[in-house]
Amino acid sequence: MIVFKSFLRVLNKNKAPVILFTVMLVIFGVINFTSNDSTDVFTSSRPDVLIVNKDVNEGITKTFIDYISKRAEIIKLSDNESIDDALFYRNVNYVIYIPLGFRDDIINGNKPSLEVKSTGDYQASLAQMMVNKFLRVVNVYSGDFNDEWQLINYVNSTFSNETNVEITSKLDVDSLSRMATYFNFMNYTMLAGLVFVISIVMTSFKNVNISKRTTMGSMSYRRVNMYLLLSNLVFALVFWLVCMILSFVLLGDILFSLHGVMYIVNSFIFTIVSLTIALLIGNLISNKNAVNGIVNLIALGSSFLCGAFVPVEFMPKSVVNLSRVFPSYYYINSNELIKSMEVVNFESLLPVFKNIIFMLAFVVLFVILINVVSWKKRRFA
Amino acid sequence: MKKVIEVSNLTKEYKSVRAVNDISFDVYEGEIVGLLGPNGSGKSTTINSILSLLSFSKGSIKIFGEEMSPNLYEVKRNIGVVFQDVAVFDELSVLENIDYFCGLYIKDKSVRKEYVEDAINLVGLLDFKKFYPKQLSGGLLRRLNIACGIAHKPKLIFLDEPTVAVDPQSRNNILDGILKLRSEGATIIYTTHYMEEVEILCDRIIIMDKGSIIASGTSDELKELANIEEKVSVHISELSDEVIEKIKSLKNVEEVNYNGDVLVVIYKKGEDNLVKLMDFLSKNKIRYDKIFSERPTLNDVFLELTGKELRD
Repeated sequence: MIVFKSFLRVLNKNKAPVILFTVMLVIFGVINFTSNDSTDVFTSSRPDVLIVNKDVNEGITKTFIDYISKRAEIIKLSDNESIDDALFYRNVNYVIYIPLGFRDDIINGNKPSLEVKSTGDYQASLAQMMVNKFLRVVNVYSGDFNDEWQLINYVNSTFSNETNVEITSKLDVDSLSRMATYFNFMNYTMLAGLVFVISIVMTSFKNVNISKRTTMGSMSYRRVNMYLLLSNLVFALVFWLVCMILSFVLLGDILFSLHGVMYIVNSFIFTIVSLTIALLIGNLISNKNAVNGIVNLIALGSSFLCGAFVPVEFMPKSVVNLSRVFPSYYYINSNELIKSMEVVNFESLLPVFKNIIFMLAFVVLFVILINVVSWKKRRFA
Repeated sequence: MKKVIEVSNLTKEYKSVRAVNDISFDVYEGEIVGLLGPNGSGKSTTINSILSLLSFSKGSIKIFGEEMSPNLYEVKRNIGVVFQDVAVFDELSVLENIDYFCGLYIKDKSVRKEYVEDAINLVGLLDFKKFYPKQLSGGLLRRLNIACGIAHKPKLIFLDEPTVAVDPQSRNNILDGILKLRSEGATIIYTTHYMEEVEILCDRIIIMDKGSIIASGTSDELKELANIEEKVSVHISELSDEVIEKIKSLKNVEEVNYNGDVLVVIYKKGEDNLVKLMDFLSKNKIRYDKIFSERPTLNDVFLELTGKELRD
């Protein structure tokens, strides 16, 4: 009991980082909760287009100009020099020169040609796509209709068609995405919080001189170690519980679902992994000043590499391959798998279970390393 | 008297270096035994071997009649250790530190509370109970280190250079505390390279050098080994070679040194050497400012035995 009591006293002297990391999680969670990053609303972009018409402004040519005008911002400029300047300064993305005879070419079934100038950016590409689309449609109908008005009607009718897209998935993508983001960020919170605090506390208890004095005590060294391990476990569980309570506060009742349960289970396993990492580092280092650097290296480094902050899809393949050596990869990968799970059943959970097994393997590895380091350190000779 | 520690033919080797070389000694109940020697003489290695903190190459160590081993927890209950390096938690107050280390031996809370209070009083840290180690001076920190080592009222206490870099006030407090512990029945092993402390505290002294015991006995017994009885120093501003030769021929004089300011006369044996020298100086009308006599020190003993100073 004296070991646990003293552990709490030492922990109490280092409570500032615990509070700091918890506050960080709260802030991140609140930002995540309040941000309106809905993924199902799209607003089309309107490129700036200048049309120089050398043909007649009637018939199919007028239809073409109207078609572009509806979908782009029409810029009006007269002389060539101004047009070039406008392109250079990006005031215009795309310039369409309609040649004389454009209308006749279409009516006669010939392939019409257009001269264009472009800034080459994505807005210009968008304008290019519009032009291509119009010419393709006209090309389809021009062979079948000799009557220009009929052709115009069909072309207009084609472009006026709208299609409703219905997403049949019953997944609450927004909620799952929020949960995944919260639990992914927890990777950093758990790692940094546990590694920082446990390392600081353990460097005190594992100080060579204090260890010598402890070894001379009438309580066996093994028992002291066991009490220390239990104390650290209690701390880790309390820290995890705080994170879980926060998740319920910030994410609400969406956690009362099979997806939510899986997120919670996954985070619990990762807490155990973080605890063993923290214990290993606490056993390895003897200088408290080094702890801060190690926390940044391990917690920040693995969080970045494994996709806690930036999704792994955006990372180079070599980085993703490297990240597999960190337990965080399997934790975050499970979070992402759960997010995209249509149905939660044994089969769909198999990859998650596989990740859990990987994480538990890391636990075993770290426990072995802790014992080796502890044994080596105990031999003062 | 009952033997508390029995060390027989202890040898400790580090690869090619023999840190402790076949030493044997016993410590009896209620004694304060001083382990004296320069840095690197093997004192701390001997202590660590006795405490089973180090494995040793050869020999046997018995404490309270039992062969010492790392798992002898009942024996450890009666041992207190104050290491050379301060071993306390920076995050715990004076009271909490002593309580923690005492708690490794004493489970009963009320008994522990009483013991912790006793330890605080013994080392004079009553006014600093709620202070943290970083708020304490070097001397007070050493006192806390001692309190942590002896709070559980052990019967056998090892003190490894407890007064290194300590102010005079704390040093006196520590030495008084050690004498008090002995008066309460503790047996003490005291390692140091401060010979004055050994002379004040120890009933018996073991002098070590290069891993071996080169002499042991009481302070007086050891001084016999120095082959010096008395050393008289006289401040004289002028002295002729003729007079120096006459002094050399005086009875019992072993050696005479004069550096132009101080005359040092070393006597091998005899009594009233100081009076006889003063008579000689008066008769020869030699004026002097100061004159004083010194008994040989343990440093002289060490010098005699090894040809070097203790603090070399």
